[in-house]
Amino acid sequence: MSEMGVAFELLGVGMVTVFVILALVVIIGNLIIRFVNKFIGEEVKTQSKGSSNLTVEINSKKLAAIVSVVNLVTKGTGRVSKVEKQ
Amino acid sequence: MGILENLYKMTAIQAFIDNPGYLLMLAIGAFLLYLGIRKQYEPLLLVPIAFGVILANLPGGEMGVVPGNLIDLGGGHTKNLLEIAHDHGIMNFLYYSLIKTGFLPPIIFMGIGALTDFGPMLRNLRLAFFGAAAQLGIFIVLISAIALGFTAKEAASLGIIGGADGPTAIYTTIKLAPHLLGPIAIAAYSYMALVPVIIPLVVRFTCSKSELLIHMKDMDRQFPSNLKIKNLRAVKIAFPIVLIIIISVFVPSAVPLLGMLLFGNLIKEIGVNVARLTEAAAGSILNTATIFLGLCVGATMTAEVFLDFKTIMIVVGGFLAFAVSIFGGIMGVKVTNLFTKKKINPLCGATGLSAVPMASRVANDIALKYDSSNHILQYCMSSNISGVIGSAVAAGVLISFLQ
Repeated sequence: MSEMGVAFELLGVGMVTVFVILALVVIIGNLIIRFVNKFIGEEVKTQSKGSSNLTVEINSKKLAAIVSVVNLVTKGTGRVSKVEKQ
Repeated sequence: MGILENLYKMTAIQAFIDNPGYLLMLAIGAFLLYLGIRKQYEPLLLVPIAFGVILANLPGGEMGVVPGNLIDLGGGHTKNLLEIAHDHGIMNFLYYSLIKTGFLPPIIFMGIGALTDFGPMLRNLRLAFFGAAAQLGIFIVLISAIALGFTAKEAASLGIIGGADGPTAIYTTIKLAPHLLGPIAIAAYSYMALVPVIIPLVVRFTCSKSELLIHMKDMDRQFPSNLKIKNLRAVKIAFPIVLIIIISVFVPSAVPLLGMLLFGNLIKEIGVNVARLTEAAAGSILNTATIFLGLCVGATMTAEVFLDFKTIMIVVGGFLAFAVSIFGGIMGVKVTNLFTKKKINPLCGATGLSAVPMASRVANDIALKYDSSNHILQYCMSSNISGVIGSAVAAGVLISFLQ
């Protein structure tokens, strides 16, 4: 076969193969999603033990007091970004 | 006088006088460095490639990659790595051990996999099809290049630039036409850097304002998907494992690239248990591979090889491959829109070529220009990521047919 013949053959085979593989990607993706939805179910979201939780644990009145003290001491320029319990 | 003559012979001055091509190559290297440093065109790759070009064109430095016939001993035998290092210097040792063996592109794909999130594609699976339409440029340029006198292997290496995927282009060229590696790698990475220019250009000539105003989220609200993902993490872990097994059945020659891509993605999705592996794949290993790949590719661009008419053809052909691929993706969307109620913004097709995530960002910016509430990034990422798979599959087809 001439080189041009090979090129047209590659155009046909190549494009069909790429479409078939990406169709399989779509099908496999759908099947996996359905399988996981049916047999594994929803993801359990675990709460991270981050610093934000520690801030939440602090009583809101105490937090307000800390903020106002920081405001007073820094004359309004300071900001409370994180409060941690030791 | 004898001392002065010996001193002169020690320098490279005479070599520059004998072959001014070296000076031209040094200028090209410096220009590529300028593009990488000043213009920030893919600097992570263009800077090592450009410096490799400079190293390769310093006469007497023995840093240029020599043609394969100097390594070949005849009868199917080649020099071993120690002999290559001894006879041709360390750059040839690196090139013939890391590049010619096809080692580095899959390693880079592993790193890319560890940085890739298949989530947007899994949420918008139907858009993955446009990653196939956008491979059209590869095959159209393959035909054109053969018509212009390239061999089938050279034409395939040129066409694969249209996949807009650097490691895939390099891997295919190593397998099919290693003598064109330098210009093809330069063209591939240069055009990837020019995605913000090429996509708007093609879109301007092919898309109407009403098409660019198609609001993807509104379409989702009007025609909601009936398949919700309840556990995305589990889907993301299962997906690469199942996918590589299925692909290996149909296109085994794509496994080195896609296998490593999906392995890298798997360790990313597993999470903290293998976090050290992910960190290594996406960090130190990827960076090390990138340095050696860039330097070695640059070192293939010696004056004798690069200053050739074929180089100009590769630069022009590479642009065409890119533009036709974008056009193919856009046309894929337009044809789909003829048959569906749930319309798709054609920009989601324009991103079907790889160049992740730059193509998606560019498409998103275009959509926002027409409608500031039309954020299409996650939709574009779907076809963009499937484009990586599509171009690797196209490369697999070319290699298995032509090698």
